[in-house]
Amino acid sequence: MASTIELASAFIEGAPPGELADVVADVQALTSEGDDILPSLAPAFERYNESQLTTVKLPGSSQEVIVSEFNKVEGNRYFDSESQTSFEIDHTTQTASNAQSSPLESQNADLIKSLLKSLGVHAKEHYPNCSYGVYPIENDSAVAILLVANRYSPNNFWNGRFRAIYQVPVSSSSTAVTGKIHVDVHYYEDGNVALNTTKPVKISIPSVTAESIIGRIAAAERDYQEELNRAFVRMSEGAFKGLRRQLPITRQKVEWEKVGGYRLGQDISGGKGR
Amino acid sequence: MADAQFDSALDLLRRLNPRDTKANLQAITTIVPDLTEDLLSSVDQPLEIRRCPQTSRDYLLCDYNRDGDSYRSPWSNEFDPPLEDGTVPSERVRKLEVAANEAFDVYRELYYEGGVGSVYFWDLDDGFAGVILLKKGVTAGSQSSGEWDSIHVFEATDRARMSHYKLTSTVILHLANETDALGEMDLSGNMTRQVEADLPVESDASHIANVGRLVEDMELKMRNLLQEVYFGKAKDVVGELRSLGSLSETNRDRATQLEMIKGMQK
Repeated sequence: MASTIELASAFIEGAPPGELADVVADVQALTSEGDDILPSLAPAFERYNESQLTTVKLPGSSQEVIVSEFNKVEGNRYFDSESQTSFEIDHTTQTASNAQSSPLESQNADLIKSLLKSLGVHAKEHYPNCSYGVYPIENDSAVAILLVANRYSPNNFWNGRFRAIYQVPVSSSSTAVTGKIHVDVHYYEDGNVALNTTKPVKISIPSVTAESIIGRIAAAERDYQEELNRAFVRMSEGAFKGLRRQLPITRQKVEWEKVGGYRLGQDISGGKGR
Repeated sequence: MADAQFDSALDLLRRLNPRDTKANLQAITTIVPDLTEDLLSSVDQPLEIRRCPQTSRDYLLCDYNRDGDSYRSPWSNEFDPPLEDGTVPSERVRKLEVAANEAFDVYRELYYEGGVGSVYFWDLDDGFAGVILLKKGVTAGSQSSGEWDSIHVFEATDRARMSHYKLTSTVILHLANETDALGEMDLSGNMTRQVEADLPVESDASHIANVGRLVEDMELKMRNLLQEVYFGKAKDVVGELRSLGSLSETNRDRATQLEMIKGMQK
């Protein structure tokens, strides 16, 4: 049987966008351990932060930077290429400290800087509230391009998160972007409704320039959002309608006096030719 | 402490992915075994189907037709696996239960055009109570699927020539779609609503019609609500995260509009 720590860790990692603190409070109450359980959940907090692209404010700055597996330096230290700063994070409280200047050292430094610039323009045009980053990965042979957009509206019982994670091998000529887009929406007024999507992305890039890479990514994100919007309509018109009709085919509500009581209204079901 | 833990368990289940409610419920009761009974009777899960050995008809399982490890079939009134002294409704309430099953079978066919339904009644000191269960699944190819579970629990309290009805309804709706262009999309959840009403009762038959209309109206309301939340609200939130149009253009248009309004006010 799974241990309490394993079960509680799964709850932490399953926390919906913007509700980690609520889930932590529930876990603390359920286990009756309060703060004592937190140290044993540290690995779960780390996995949550890295996979959900948690953003933290740099000390003394209003700028939010991303925490991910791609910009990890070592231990709890991560690196932000745009501000050329490294910082430590407390995974449990999601706060940054001990920021240090840390110049971007990469043979692809110029490409990374142009990518950040183009990505910044793209992000501003389509994400009202987002953070992004571009980092050297895989022994400096590739770059990771990350974008996360969060909107939290707990007073209206909804929260949402959009994540895009791309990897681009850097070679002299053409390349391909591979990655994934995830959209998670939680609505919880008088219920619990979740939208979770995963869209794998694979785009070939004719030339390794920031403009062409970000241009293709922007087009893929737009195509995906349009497809997702169409999917809402398809589900509504398709599966949803197929589950339960709004009204019977006769457009009449049930005549309960005829079907109820102690006689079954054979005429009603029979009348439909069934 | 137990009350606080129960509230935390419900809060947690309201936050974690509704697709995983069954597994999460199991995990919570592993951590706090004392909550098992209370949680099982207050957290709605997708209904399971079983075939009645006596009548070969499908029926639905829930906490209200369970006694130990056995479930009572609404068609035969027998427990499976058989129980010597399983709890069954009184003769009068069983008669009502049989009538309600017949009535809701017609209802199910008219609205769901398939699926499985079951109605279970039980006696109360000053009336009776019951649960109406409806379930339907659809699969359109391998890439699209949907499942609907309705759970309507009511109490009917006797008053003079009237009955007071209290209905709590939950619909669990799961939809999934997968294509190359879309990737994976999962839209799952549950919503709960309550209603109370005092309605005239001439005979026991009135109960069936009263409960029938309450459930029919409730399902219509909930279907509209689900439509709004699943396909309206969820889509709107995606639009809040990412704007299809250019934000700078939107902001420019807004500024121009403000200028025009200012100009007209001069």
